Amino acid sequence: MLLSACAAAGVGTGLVGKRFQSLALAKHTIPISDLGNRDVFTSCGMCVNKCGVIARVRNGVIEKLDPNPHFLKSRGMLCARGNAGIDAVYSPDRLKHPMIRTGKRGEGKFRRATWDEALDLVVKNLSNLADKYTRAGTVFVSTEGFQEHFFTTFAECYGSPNTLRHPSLCLASNIQGFGATYGTNPTPDVLNADYIIMSGANRSEALVTPDSIDMLTGDGGRRKLVYLDPRFTKTAAKADEWFPIRPGTDMAFILAMINVVVKENLYNHKVVEKQTVGFDKLVPHIETYTPEWAATKCEIPAADIRRIAREFAMAAPKAVYYQGRRSSFFDNDTQMRRAMAILNAVVGNWDTKGGMVPNSRIPLQGHEYVAPYYEDVPDRLENGTASYLSEKDGSWKYFRDRVLEGKPYPVKGMMVYKQNPLVSVANRGKTLKMMEQMEFICTIDITMNDTAYYSDVILPEATYLEREDPIESLGGILPMVVWREPVIKPMYESRSNLWIIQQLAKRMGDEIYASFNFTMKEYREHQTKNNPEILKVLKEKGVYYEKETPTYGTTLGKKLRTRSGKIEIYSEKYAKKGLDPLPVYNDPTNGSTGQYRLILGRNAYMTHGTTANNAYLSELMPENHIWLHSSEAKKKGFRDGQMVKVKSPIATEMLRLQVTEKIRPDCVYLSHGFGVLSRGQSRIFGKGGSDAALIEDKVEPISGNMAMHQTFVDITSI
Amino acid sequence: MKKKRFAMVLDTRKCIDCKACTIACKTENHIPLIEDNYRNWVMEEPLRGKYPRLGQSFTPGQCMQCSNPPCERVCPTSATYVNGDGVVLVDDKKCIGCKYCITACPYDARFYNEEIGAVDKCTFCIQRIYKGRLPACVETCPTKVRVFGDLNDPDSDVSRLLRKYPHRVKKPEIGTQPSLFYLM
Repeated sequence: MLLSACAAAGVGTGLVGKRFQSLALAKHTIPISDLGNRDVFTSCGMCVNKCGVIARVRNGVIEKLDPNPHFLKSRGMLCARGNAGIDAVYSPDRLKHPMIRTGKRGEGKFRRATWDEALDLVVKNLSNLADKYTRAGTVFVSTEGFQEHFFTTFAECYGSPNTLRHPSLCLASNIQGFGATYGTNPTPDVLNADYIIMSGANRSEALVTPDSIDMLTGDGGRRKLVYLDPRFTKTAAKADEWFPIRPGTDMAFILAMINVVVKENLYNHKVVEKQTVGFDKLVPHIETYTPEWAATKCEIPAADIRRIAREFAMAAPKAVYYQGRRSSFFDNDTQMRRAMAILNAVVGNWDTKGGMVPNSRIPLQGHEYVAPYYEDVPDRLENGTASYLSEKDGSWKYFRDRVLEGKPYPVKGMMVYKQNPLVSVANRGKTLKMMEQMEFICTIDITMNDTAYYSDVILPEATYLEREDPIESLGGILPMVVWREPVIKPMYESRSNLWIIQQLAKRMGDEIYASFNFTMKEYREHQTKNNPEILKVLKEKGVYYEKETPTYGTTLGKKLRTRSGKIEIYSEKYAKKGLDPLPVYNDPTNGSTGQYRLILGRNAYMTHGTTANNAYLSELMPENHIWLHSSEAKKKGFRDGQMVKVKSPIATEMLRLQVTEKIRPDCVYLSHGFGVLSRGQSRIFGKGGSDAALIEDKVEPISGNMAMHQTFVDITSI
Repeated sequence: MKKKRFAMVLDTRKCIDCKACTIACKTENHIPLIEDNYRNWVMEEPLRGKYPRLGQSFTPGQCMQCSNPPCERVCPTSATYVNGDGVVLVDDKKCIGCKYCITACPYDARFYNEEIGAVDKCTFCIQRIYKGRLPACVETCPTKVRVFGDLNDPDSDVSRLLRKYPHRVKKPEIGTQPSLFYLM
């Protein structure tokens, strides 16, 4: 941020004047009409939680982002990233104009283009690609957001079956494991639970509302938090008990808990009889999975496992084994989540206060569109890979491998919206190869991140604070409806994704354009036509609820979305597919002597690979370090703060060492989002190392989810 | 009208060191984006115990709004003063940047702000609290570590909390009489 040394010229106070000056220096003129003061209700866009925000505009400049006190899910708070959202708008690094590549791909040489020229070029290429490679020859890559729908719908209207989204880097195996058991992936009722076991869900740093907040209420009285993690994270510091579980052995711990609960007759007989099927098969299955056996696997003492199992069952139904969100750890994650689901089921916490509650959603009228029919378009590229492949989300691992093979057919076009695969997908080397062989890449984004840097055409989207977004229905145990209103007009030549898609659609013909020919106002009215009250309340409060407390028991006495209609402890569905119908434990692979398992995680002031370059947040964390246990550092003669070489089977990165006791001696850890390739991220280019480069693309074969904790590295001095 | 005595009570058991308070303060008060320019911060206390039996606390800090402030005593131009309601403030027009107060403050709460040409520190968000709003750090805190209010009002949340729970202040032995209370 340019901060000139001269005093503010009497406009506002302090930095407001500075911002005016630097904006003027950047040759952006704020329209005279927008020198106003206003407070605008909108939704944060800095992470997935979408907390309610009140944006304060003074003299046409966004001065402060405050929490919306009406927003129950966030309990009226706004985290560090939410507060730092101002920099997304005013960063000199943000994308300002459409750009077309001039140099070689990845050189970072672009020229400014007009919207017309850039859009024409995109559509020309999409047409050529359709002729040469069929419409399946272009992949549409995107991540969730209020405007993502228009992008994926455009993909459908274009006629490509190949949409590739983020769940196969995140929660696909959770969805699969819990879905196979309950017919849905439920939400734990943290606020009302008395006993919570979290393994690998670092809620005090991987913020998810309201869980990150609710897990600490209860006055330290009745609520007990047991936390399993190879690292002593902030959650470990808050938990009542922390165990540095051996990575990849969570299933052993859970199966042993089930063993105790079943054998000591602590399970909920009534629920098991009425609501589940397959318990009779579970009993012999868990016979050998004793706490004594599990202790040798997960390195948690047998006495503790037994005690925790008893405490858990006693606290039930207000007890949850918290499944977390990201489940892209190991190649057995789906089956491990199945074990979690089974444990929750047998203590009888389904659809009850303090237990596992199915999500609900306030209905909105959907987008009515008609996708044209295209002949001879093949099916999804990676069909037949994962046992249960999501049609909409796909599997990054399998998809990319097939693109590189060129089989069963070539994919030579790539359209990207709001995803940064060069940072978010394991094995960056393969992503680079995949992008190199593309004939055309277009990225729609707000910053010159690595993926934009490697594209041919870059289209600048308006940031979340500049957009009028569709109304969005957020599902959960406390469903709500939210929206975004533009706080300021889009800066530079940035445009909302809807406008971009409309312009592309216009150029593709009347038939496709008809599906996108509406204003946002018309779209919102259509969405709420069965419930116009929603729009009214959104204007007054920024958020719409129908209830302020969760509803429990809505599924009791009814059929679940499973084959039997009940909770499936034993999965016939899996048995028929040749998969283990009950989870079977297998040891995780080990590295060689002297190697360390590289594990990943989050912190509360970074969002994945997207915020490291934010001016406020990068001040908190200018680069990432690699964590190594002090006993290991001593053994190898390393000093805290020295540079080390981190070598995995596929890449080498240089990082600064952080010697600490807060991690298992057999693991190392580094924070996500650094070691970038793009010179357009001026604060972080050249700083830290890339986890995406180091991590191999192992896969969980049932869901197709990436398995990112199975890479072993060597650490040496430079 | 009866004078107020503004104070803050912190329950650090809930603090997760998420830095929301520091960023909220930075943006609310237009603090320059320079590394040591912070009105507030969160400290990671030293790790307790030995692996794997570890413990750690996190402690937010800022100007303690002392009732007996050393900064006021040493200021040569009377730029630093305490207002009627107990808030320690700096009149930036009077401040000559001698930085004596920065040295005198036992809590390291002050820094020199090049942009305004004066010493800077927490003001309990004076621009908010007289408009019926809370300081930015209090409002934004995800886990509701901070409670703000008037100690001269016996029914305020801060008064109630101090009556109910044992609490302490930082460096009580110096006699600064801070207005920030940490629940124990």
